[in-house]
Amino acid sequence: MKSPLPETWSKPPAIANPVLRYGLILAVAVYAVWAIGTLPFDWARISDGVGRAGRIFSGAFPPSFERPGLMLEGFLESLQIAIIATAAGVLLSVPIALMSARNLAPMPVYILGRGIIICARSFHPVIVAIIFVKAVGFGPLAGMLTLMVYSIGFVAKMLAERIEEIDWGQVEAVRAAGASYLSTLIYAVFPQIMPRQIGLSIYQLDSNLRASAVVGIVGAGGIGATLANAFKRYDYDFALAIIMVIVGAILISEAVSGMIRKRIW
Amino acid sequence: MLRIANLVKSYGKADPVLKGLDLEVPGESMVSIIGASGAGKSTLIRCINRLVEPTSGTIELNGVKLTELKGKALRLARRRIGMVFQSFNLVDRLTVMENVQSGRLGYIPTWRAALRRYPKQDIRRAFELMERVGIAHYANKRADALSGGERQRVGVVRALMQEPEILLADEPTASLDPKTSEQIMALLRSLSRELHLPVLINIHNVAEAKAYTDRIVGMRYGRIIFDDVPAKLDDEAMERIYSGIPAEDRRADAPIPAEASAIPAERQVEAQPS
Repeated sequence: MKSPLPETWSKPPAIANPVLRYGLILAVAVYAVWAIGTLPFDWARISDGVGRAGRIFSGAFPPSFERPGLMLEGFLESLQIAIIATAAGVLLSVPIALMSARNLAPMPVYILGRGIIICARSFHPVIVAIIFVKAVGFGPLAGMLTLMVYSIGFVAKMLAERIEEIDWGQVEAVRAAGASYLSTLIYAVFPQIMPRQIGLSIYQLDSNLRASAVVGIVGAGGIGATLANAFKRYDYDFALAIIMVIVGAILISEAVSGMIRKRIW
Repeated sequence: MLRIANLVKSYGKADPVLKGLDLEVPGESMVSIIGASGAGKSTLIRCINRLVEPTSGTIELNGVKLTELKGKALRLARRRIGMVFQSFNLVDRLTVMENVQSGRLGYIPTWRAALRRYPKQDIRRAFELMERVGIAHYANKRADALSGGERQRVGVVRALMQEPEILLADEPTASLDPKTSEQIMALLRSLSRELHLPVLINIHNVAEAKAYTDRIVGMRYGRIIFDDVPAKLDDEAMERIYSGIPAEDRRADAPIPAEASAIPAERQVEAQPS
């Protein structure tokens, strides 16, 4: 005889083994308590710091836009760094992405390409910037080189992934016509990755503008350098003005890049 | 004249997909290859222009041993073999004209291709052919803006731009509705006659094969088991091509053995509360 159909149902748990499931939850909880308990929080210093933070903030108000020349100069330098680094980085990303696409590159080339991407991605731009500042000195060149590396890491990786998912039929059709490797790239591969390439470039410009402000703080030029100097001289009101300009610029660039990316599809 | 002798294709250690095929296609004939999915039709066609690398055997087109070519020589030989695909394989984001001209990529220098500076005679030929198949007014449209039948016409023109010595068609009508599909078959046949072009077509639709081609080749599990004029393709031949699997073949190739279909039933029994 058939038993009656069940009336209750609950979603099967993600981890089937109950011992493992509850064990993991317990382990996470224990670690969280232990981690917070052992970190050296010095409550006296924290309360001191709150006072100091209060002084900084009160010193920052109202923001001072008294030196627009200095600000504009820093900002334009950041913009220059971002644009040149994006252009160079994106150009270099294309061949590296082709090298790193499993469906186009033979194994040794693929490993080399992926290696370059992994190197470019393993360090935060600030660390790369510190190295370049040591290597080529203070100023915008260090910033540009840093952001180029940063752009390659991101754009080449995303582009390689796009190349790996192209419609292979189009490549086959062009190859069946006797096209050379280069012609095949131009006719069957590039048209398929073009929208992604443009989208990535615009995103990267946007992202480089943001990062150029950060790497400036460690000496790689641009508005970040202006900001760091303002802090060093306790010009908190000027610093706040710079921060407001950076935020404004990033908001505008995000809006513009969003609009462009929507249009190109 | 296309001459295939003792063609074998195997993937790894598995049973070969093609088991020593012999086939000759003399000039100007339109030949269709029929057979169940997995019979090796597509592999056979793709071996000819080496989109699939044959394991052994020879393929010869008008005296050129295709199976021995490498690198540049292979590219040059591929120019003379046109191919039409089931899913059209047009470059969607390029215009119809660029797609059509991609059939010339083996002939023109890369810089010309990159800058779209196509030679005058190629442009004239493209318009002639597009006019012939009725798509000339779409020259500047993007390929993905066209309907299925129109896209396959672009595919046919692209292949003809190669000035091929043979046209291969891998299920050219399988993605099309019945009416469009007949139009494409009729087009292929009349082009074959006009251009004195041998055409080799993989096709699932046996009625179309009978109606539009001069000769039918029936494949089963990597072997040719029927090769004759359409009139000779009777029920008995159809039976041999599409069903009634001989025990010997079944052992090696049958895609879904009888045991496989029993598995769901077993699971069902397990799920039943006792």
